[in-house]
Amino acid sequence: MGRPEARAGVVGWGTYIPRYRLRVTEIAELWGFEKRIVESLGMFEKAVASSDEDSVTMGWYAAKSAILRAGIKPEEISAVFVGSESKPYAVKPSATIIGDALGVSRKRLTTDLEFACRAGSEAIRLNVALVSSGTVRYGLAIGSDTAQANPGDILEFTASSGAAAYVLGPAEEAAAKFEGVVTYVTDTPDFWRRDLSKYPLHGEGFTGSPAYFHHIESSVKLLMEELGLKPSDFDYAVFHQPNGKYPLKVAAKLGIPKDKVLPGLVTPWIGNTYNASALIGLAKVLEAAKPGERILVAPFGSGAGSDAMSLIVTDKVKDKVNVAPTVEELLSRKTYINYATYAKSRKIIWRI
Amino acid sequence: MLKNSISIFWRKRSNYYRIKLTKCRKCGRISYPARERCPYCGSNDVEHIDSSGHGKILNYTVSYYRREGDAENMPRIVALVRLDEGVVIPAEIVDSSPEEIKEGMEVEAVLRRLNSDDPYGLIYYGLKFTPVLNK
Amino acid sequence: MAKTYIAGVGMTKVGRHYEKGFKELSLEAIDKALKHAGIGINEIDYLLVSSAFPELTLHQSDIATILAQELGIKVRALRVDAGEASGAAAVALGNDLIRLGRVRTVLVAGVEKMSEYPSAQANAAYSSILDYEYEGVRNVSLVNYAAMTLKNYMERYGVSREEVFKWAIKMHENALTNPYAYLSFKVSLKRMMDSQIMSDPITTYDAFPICDGAAALVMVEESVASTLDGKPVELLDYEAINSEPPYLRGELTELPATRKAFKKLSKRTGIVVDEETAIQVHDSFSIYGLLALEALGLAGKGKALEALDNMPYLNHGGGLKARGHPVGATPLYGLAELTLLMQNSYPGLNYSRDISLLHTMSGHDNSSWLIVLRR
Repeated sequence: MGRPEARAGVVGWGTYIPRYRLRVTEIAELWGFEKRIVESLGMFEKAVASSDEDSVTMGWYAAKSAILRAGIKPEEISAVFVGSESKPYAVKPSATIIGDALGVSRKRLTTDLEFACRAGSEAIRLNVALVSSGTVRYGLAIGSDTAQANPGDILEFTASSGAAAYVLGPAEEAAAKFEGVVTYVTDTPDFWRRDLSKYPLHGEGFTGSPAYFHHIESSVKLLMEELGLKPSDFDYAVFHQPNGKYPLKVAAKLGIPKDKVLPGLVTPWIGNTYNASALIGLAKVLEAAKPGERILVAPFGSGAGSDAMSLIVTDKVKDKVNVAPTVEELLSRKTYINYATYAKSRKIIWRI
Repeated sequence: MLKNSISIFWRKRSNYYRIKLTKCRKCGRISYPARERCPYCGSNDVEHIDSSGHGKILNYTVSYYRREGDAENMPRIVALVRLDEGVVIPAEIVDSSPEEIKEGMEVEAVLRRLNSDDPYGLIYYGLKFTPVLNK
Repeated sequence: MAKTYIAGVGMTKVGRHYEKGFKELSLEAIDKALKHAGIGINEIDYLLVSSAFPELTLHQSDIATILAQELGIKVRALRVDAGEASGAAAVALGNDLIRLGRVRTVLVAGVEKMSEYPSAQANAAYSSILDYEYEGVRNVSLVNYAAMTLKNYMERYGVSREEVFKWAIKMHENALTNPYAYLSFKVSLKRMMDSQIMSDPITTYDAFPICDGAAALVMVEESVASTLDGKPVELLDYEAINSEPPYLRGELTELPATRKAFKKLSKRTGIVVDEETAIQVHDSFSIYGLLALEALGLAGKGKALEALDNMPYLNHGGGLKARGHPVGATPLYGLAELTLLMQNSYPGLNYSRDISLLHTMSGHDNSSWLIVLRR
């Protein structure tokens, strides 16, 4: 018998991208950046949640789609984990609100997770473990963020809003089965937000090589080593997408060609949705993949850690794609707003 | 001081998180809201069901009328939505604009913040409607 | 059964009374009503106070006891709340008590202070008339129903936006001769056409203004009325019916409760009303004034605007639109204006009919009340 995670798979997935978009050139103009900074980040626009949206409402939407694609009743789900670094409440779980709003069983494992941008990925790992061990039949993992950025900071070009949700369940019912999952973490302080602070701070260049690159490279290499795979065995590679450039760069370092990364690259058009970033990318790939294809997914979270997962697409994928809004549909539904509307929507304007 | 009562909202949360309807086992008719008695035949042999949350705009108005706490989602689009189950409910339409909204437009329920006791009190979530994305 | 009479009426000017609180305004109206009736405060058996939002706008519960203390009287005192129809409900209750022989004189005072907080808070208080659990929580306000109703009315009957302002123009004209009216000035059609939208297609000129006011009536039994020097006006009868919330009705351009209440009332009393009858209708929003005329049989469906020209005694004080709508006091203003008209002491108008009618409602016909006066 192989690895325990092989007993689990993605039974359903769902995503959410808010309708509104801000062209990042507006940010550059407003704060007096040289305009080519936008190209250097590989960014065009970012998604902006409305003022009545937050990580709970977006997570709810993504989860609703995921349950529809899973083709199960909400009551059949017995674990809900929400990964976010923009919780509406510092104390009070988002997962209870989402679970009750969806009508998930009250006999559920429920908690919010925080690990910068990879808590949603950890939510998947936990559910995979619960499904593999037979503790639950179906578990829901959500990554959702209305990412905050200090206005005028370089982070503002990318920090955006979005959500992704996955129903994990038995491999026999899955649209994609897990082949293996590994995690690599260290204490690396590349990005943080202190208690009561409105915006996070980061080490700028320090978020790169010792953090993002080191951890993703380490986890992916570990996965390939454990599964006996090489880069060319993967048909797609999805990495955490803090900007439009890093995922391509890490792929190059790992020897994975660009064309395997581009199908799952969404950040240039929606920004970095933090806990949903790689998970929206994975959803987009699932919606285009063919049975038998192998997907590498490697989310990353500051602080720092990376999960690397290998998934094999099954023949069940096709019937699920159009059951709920696809990433393509969410990407193409967009209305541009200006900086003022963005500032109002994201509560950057101080009101009493 | 809290603007909203915790218990008033909490007690009915299933009504705000989902749209609960009354289905009469005797005459078969569906009514809104969820009640213990069928408003058509008076039978108390009723069950409460969840609406699909899908419907069409029957009537709407673009409202600039500001109540305490109304600052962000203005102007507000307030509509009467005929749900697929046949009942009509009052609802707010979001992520649309006065230019694109039309009677007959297909809409679906989405969870949003209805209200919040800012800056430290509770956030109250419930369903609003938005133009249908796919199909 | 004993008959009930309105022996005296008192009003304060409707407006934004920053220098007067609810006590001062109420006392001013009460003193005028007592004086008009020729009755002393100590002859009052019962104090009924109609007010819709004292808890929300005045931090005051049990407003009737507080007012009785202010008046320095020891009586039974009760506050009556029926939303926008509170004043009619208080008068109806006073009427019943007198007819049952429980009391001989009732003082009814209506008061509302809507200007104590900024308009957003006044609007929130006013919106509380709707069902909090199904409408309030979902951010629905009364003006939104009125707007959707007007929209349907205009589409269905081919009425233009411009034509609907005919109501407001008439109300502003009527208010010119009412010394107690808030908006007693003429408004041009152009200004109305350029006015701010509140809830499309309703603009500020289709809606009542936020305002304060107090009005009082002295109601007495027949035996007391016969001893008075004035010309008491009989409260012949009343009727009230409630309706389902608007979203459950299927049709917005009708006022079913008003229609039903009027049918019952006219069947019981045999009263006939036509365009020359003095009638006060509830025009919180102009569209409701139009629908009320249609529900009362004074105009065919979609024809109310055409009927306006031939109605010299319709909302002769300016209606809620121009006299103003200090909510809990509003029906009392209407009854006071009718009483003065029937006593032929309303400035500039002579009225010869025997009866007059007050219509008031809360929300979009959520409850509707009718009161008939006779001389």
